[in-house]
Amino acid sequence: MSDTINISRRFFLKAGSAAAVVMATGGVRMLAYAKEDNTEVFAGWVEVTPDNKVHILFPSTEMGQGSNTALPQILADELNADWDQVEIKQLNKDDRRFGNPAFGNILYTAGSSGVYAYFTILREAGAHLRDMMRQRVADEWSVNFNSVIAENNYIKHSSSGRQMSFGKAISLPDFSTTALRSPVVLKEKSDYTLIGKSIPRRDIPDKATGRAMFAIDVRVPDMLYASVIRSPVEGETVESLNDEKARGARDVVDVITLPDGVAVIAKTMHASFVGRFSLEVTWTETSKYRKYSSESTIAEYRQIARSEEAGAEWRAVGDVKSALKNADATLDAMYTSDYAYHAQLEPMACVASVDDDGKGAEIWAGTQTQSWTTHTAKEVLGTTEDRIKLNMMQMGGGFGRRTELMQNYVRDVLLCSKAVKKPVKVVWLRPDDLKHGAFRPAAAQYMQAGFNSDNAMTAFYHRVATPSVIAYFNPIRWGQVKPNDVVSMRGAENKFYDFDNFTAEHVITERHARILPWRGIGAAYTSFAAEAFIDEVAAKSGVSPYDLRMKLLRNNPRGTHLLKKVSEMANKVPLKEGRGRGIAFAGYGDTQSAGIVEISVNESAGTIKVHHVWIAVDAGKIISPDNAHNQIEGGVLWGVSASLYERITITNGLVDQENYFNYPILRHDMAPKIEVYIAKNDFKPKQVGEAGNPMVAPAISNALFNITGRRIRHLPFTSDNVKKALS
Amino acid sequence: MISFKINGKTIETDADPDTLLLVYLREIAGLTGTKYGCGAAMCGACMVHLDGQPMFSCQLSISAVQGRNIKTIEGMSENGEHPLQKAWVEEQVPQCGYCQSGQIMRAAALLESNPSPTEEEIKSWMNTNLCRCSTYNRIVKAVQRASREMSS
Ligand code: FES
Ligand code: FES
Repeated sequence: MSDTINISRRFFLKAGSAAAVVMATGGVRMLAYAKEDNTEVFAGWVEVTPDNKVHILFPSTEMGQGSNTALPQILADELNADWDQVEIKQLNKDDRRFGNPAFGNILYTAGSSGVYAYFTILREAGAHLRDMMRQRVADEWSVNFNSVIAENNYIKHSSSGRQMSFGKAISLPDFSTTALRSPVVLKEKSDYTLIGKSIPRRDIPDKATGRAMFAIDVRVPDMLYASVIRSPVEGETVESLNDEKARGARDVVDVITLPDGVAVIAKTMHASFVGRFSLEVTWTETSKYRKYSSESTIAEYRQIARSEEAGAEWRAVGDVKSALKNADATLDAMYTSDYAYHAQLEPMACVASVDDDGKGAEIWAGTQTQSWTTHTAKEVLGTTEDRIKLNMMQMGGGFGRRTELMQNYVRDVLLCSKAVKKPVKVVWLRPDDLKHGAFRPAAAQYMQAGFNSDNAMTAFYHRVATPSVIAYFNPIRWGQVKPNDVVSMRGAENKFYDFDNFTAEHVITERHARILPWRGIGAAYTSFAAEAFIDEVAAKSGVSPYDLRMKLLRNNPRGTHLLKKVSEMANKVPLKEGRGRGIAFAGYGDTQSAGIVEISVNESAGTIKVHHVWIAVDAGKIISPDNAHNQIEGGVLWGVSASLYERITITNGLVDQENYFNYPILRHDMAPKIEVYIAKNDFKPKQVGEAGNPMVAPAISNALFNITGRRIRHLPFTSDNVKKALS
Repeated sequence: MISFKINGKTIETDADPDTLLLVYLREIAGLTGTKYGCGAAMCGACMVHLDGQPMFSCQLSISAVQGRNIKTIEGMSENGEHPLQKAWVEEQVPQCGYCQSGQIMRAAALLESNPSPTEEEIKSWMNTNLCRCSTYNRIVKAVQRASREMSS
């Protein structure tokens, strides 16, 4: 057996009718204790009850990524549980014992981190409870620990044929004082029963019947509805308000002013809308953000990217500046990208019921973080955590939209409920969700490469001019990580390639709009610039884009494998007349992805159609291959949508778009065929959910070059931008 | 009083006649399987059947459906036995799931008029319905599976 963990301290509490194993994150502290009563309060990671059910805690939140199944699957495997007897419990508290180690034990579902960050903790928890049960039953039968095994919710003694259910085992007298075995022994990879199996997702049946409950669906007795009109530009407040018509409207209960908006509260949702649209509001209109338009913002970022202004070093190898100075030839290019919107299909919505004293609340919300939703409520109500009861709902898409430290959709509903002393639901209309969204930041990236006299690349310099996303959406975190902003910079590290001289740096620009993490975070634009520019370098060096990448991957056998694999897959399909292909190698975090796309272009209309995508991904050990496949496909199509359509423009601080008709996203008929290869190996599990999209934009731009001989260096590739690139 | 049928049951309501059918279904009738996504006939999350035809329930007021028959996802089957619902589970289509009631309602109307659609027919018919998680390719597979099941 391998993978042993040392436990430095152990604690035991009194036995009851059920046992649970709780482990503090960090792997140094272990508690084993009994559930003291039969309440539904969750004791720990896993609990077996006398009815032989296994209850596993789900510490993240579910937004479609499937970790609601994948995380419990890991623990259940190590426990040798019968999956049909497993029940999954949502963690509805900011309980940092179960926090995400990838984010300093904050309860935080982001960065495709759930599986890799919790993998070991979940296995340890399962192994501890399994071996406690083996030990206690072995003692009961007066046999050796090693002669009993755990299998499918039973402890078995094979030589005598005796067996005892987990439910009975934990009901044996003094079960919870059974000594924990230390060090805990984890299963061999070859003994996995659930890890690596495509077991059906638990959340899917209810998503086929309409029973799955999202925050927007919550209805509680006596609930009122609020509709909020928000200040059109960040930082502005109400200057004058005429709410006479609203107050006179049928079923309207109250009109209240919020920090940056006005809420009409009514007995019916319909009345809340009628009231809201009858408000006459003027705003202060003094915000500095009125100075900013996206076009001038990008122009400013371009200038900064090309300037001498020092950037925060993100990753460096060798000495890029002297390599460029000593180069026989150089090449440079400017890549830019617009703001982009999450467009998650469930708009922001929340229900809250504030206690009469205004100091406590029950909240139903779909967010990516129990910690920051709790933080929001504590700040808004000026209260303590024990007064906040959370119900973490499934989300109709997250993609980074629901990650902020201060969540104004939660704030508003708390303020409304507090004012009227009744539960209130707030639903943002789509135009509210879009116009008051927080976007993938606009960026300008200045790329430079140096070459020797043989035209071989000697230097690669990547300057990213974009604001710090973290500084805006989570100032607490920024205090800890400044000046390293993984949200703004991910992908620019370019760590899968072996460069002689390389620097990526972040020139932190002034923020001109609300910004947030967005699927793929920085890699959604940094990989575009880096991988499109690699094709430019290949052209200058006179080698094929494939050969240059193979050379850069020479010390990366897993990456080499993917690039070979993806080109084999694509080469099996003859290239159709009038089409072209492009290649890219990107990935997300530690996960590598190689991709090839096949496109056609209508040059006069400036439109691109993506016909076929091949992608090869290495994310280490895969917990649930079918779900991983679905996530990768979703990621690829997200990338296609982002590349072809998605652009938020801002004029004098106002967002120009308002709904899916002027912020189009990919539809059925434009979804290309996708072939996915996922490497099978036993390396540590890594990120899956965002591994698909970063390679798409550069592969499309490289394909466009292969057809037309013209480079497109601005994302998205909408018809105006394509025409500009081709002219 | 406005009266219409939802999933076979007659409803009488004195709600404001301008109330959107979508809002009525979700917030008054408690049938939250039908979703709000855009309010603009752009996403299909609100798709129901009106006298058997697929309709955006965000585009109809309750006064406009006086005397008509509405079917929602809750009326498709008791427990998810409809071949499309089963196919959705078999193919593990949903990710976040938010769009999927609308997708299933839209697909059901297709199979009623065209029991064996081609891939191209499925794609163009389903074009009214957005899926931000991009489960599009699995939706096509699930519709094909249900179509085979229903014709056998
Ligand atoms: S909510 Fe009706 S089409 Fe989007
Ligand atoms: S499954 Fe998320 S929008 Fe379709």
